[in-house]
Amino acid sequence: MNKELEHQFVTELQDNQNIVHKVCTLYTNDQDAHKDLFQEITIQLWKAYPKFRGESKFSTWMYRVALNTAITLYRKSKKRIDTHNYESVIFKIKAEEYDETEEQQLSLMYQAIRQLGDIDKALVFMYLEDKNYSEISEVLGITEVNARVKMNRIKTKLRTILNP
Amino acid sequence: MDELDLLKRDWQKKEAHLPQLSYADIQEMIWKRSSSIVRWILVISILEFTLPHVIYLLPSVRSGEGFKIYEALGISKILFVVSIAYYLVALYFIFQFYRRFKEISVLENSRTLMRKIIRTRRTVKHYVIFALSTIVLFVIITLFGIYTTSDLSTLFPEMAVSIKKLDAEELKMTLLVTIALFGAILTVLVGGIYFLLYGLLMRKLKRNYHELKRLEF
Repeated sequence: MNKELEHQFVTELQDNQNIVHKVCTLYTNDQDAHKDLFQEITIQLWKAYPKFRGESKFSTWMYRVALNTAITLYRKSKKRIDTHNYESVIFKIKAEEYDETEEQQLSLMYQAIRQLGDIDKALVFMYLEDKNYSEISEVLGITEVNARVKMNRIKTKLRTILNP
Repeated sequence: MDELDLLKRDWQKKEAHLPQLSYADIQEMIWKRSSSIVRWILVISILEFTLPHVIYLLPSVRSGEGFKIYEALGISKILFVVSIAYYLVALYFIFQFYRRFKEISVLENSRTLMRKIIRTRRTVKHYVIFALSTIVLFVIITLFGIYTTSDLSTLFPEMAVSIKKLDAEELKMTLLVTIALFGAILTVLVGGIYFLLYGLLMRKLKRNYHELKRLEF
């Protein structure tokens, strides 16, 4: 029984692992921390899995656990490695697909997002993932109106960073 | 095109470049030990609940030597009552802690989850304050016992002769000051370690919790 549950869980997580990787990309600065956070999210997902009854989609359920782990449960490891190399691997990988200015703009924007607080990052993440405000408010435990207001503020903040 | 739409489009395109873990990688991860803040709170709390009791099990403390001294000071009865009260309250705290801890679920929304963790930690904090107050109370009772005992040589029968040679008032003062100092240092030290430990552990969580709470106004 347990073996079966384990198999089911690992398969589903493997299929949906992109969600976890994306959270790790936003919340960590180097590969070690990325792996560390990924592991912690996996442990938390697995611990909570027996309570997952398929009422929502597995992926929807994952957003909640992954974000909760990143902003609440996870303790950042103290060692900090230079962030720039890693960023360039993840974010500048497809330079050839863009023209110069667009690529530069994007790179600046990712840098700005990385400087945001944990909660702001969660909002931006849900926005980038095309989640609606009711989902955002449900995951974070704030009202929809407040989520919208906050998101608008972050957007303005990001725009001013780009066009000072 | 809006910069943020550009960003969204890029973000979604980037999926193709994310690392991919194998089935075996993930399977290995699920059996690793969590290093989450909740686990840390659990481990530290269990230590806090058990450590004072482990000290009582040490042979030198158990041998009854200490108890004889309390008897000589005439405070053994009151200390007995205080000890019983202490254990009752400590049990209550352990029960409360267990209940709060069980309530914590990663499936809650972030705000509720953070609130529950902070509440659980607060239970431990109250326990620590209570335990430290008990130490202070013990010290005060002991000081009172020494103060009201006229012949201190009965405390240490094997040293009675040499003690008798000393000035009684001076000896009393020395004992009072030493015990008071020791009690104060112990309290401050234990309290300091505790608040430093939890302060560091909870810093991030508290900041995020206040940020979420601020959003609601």
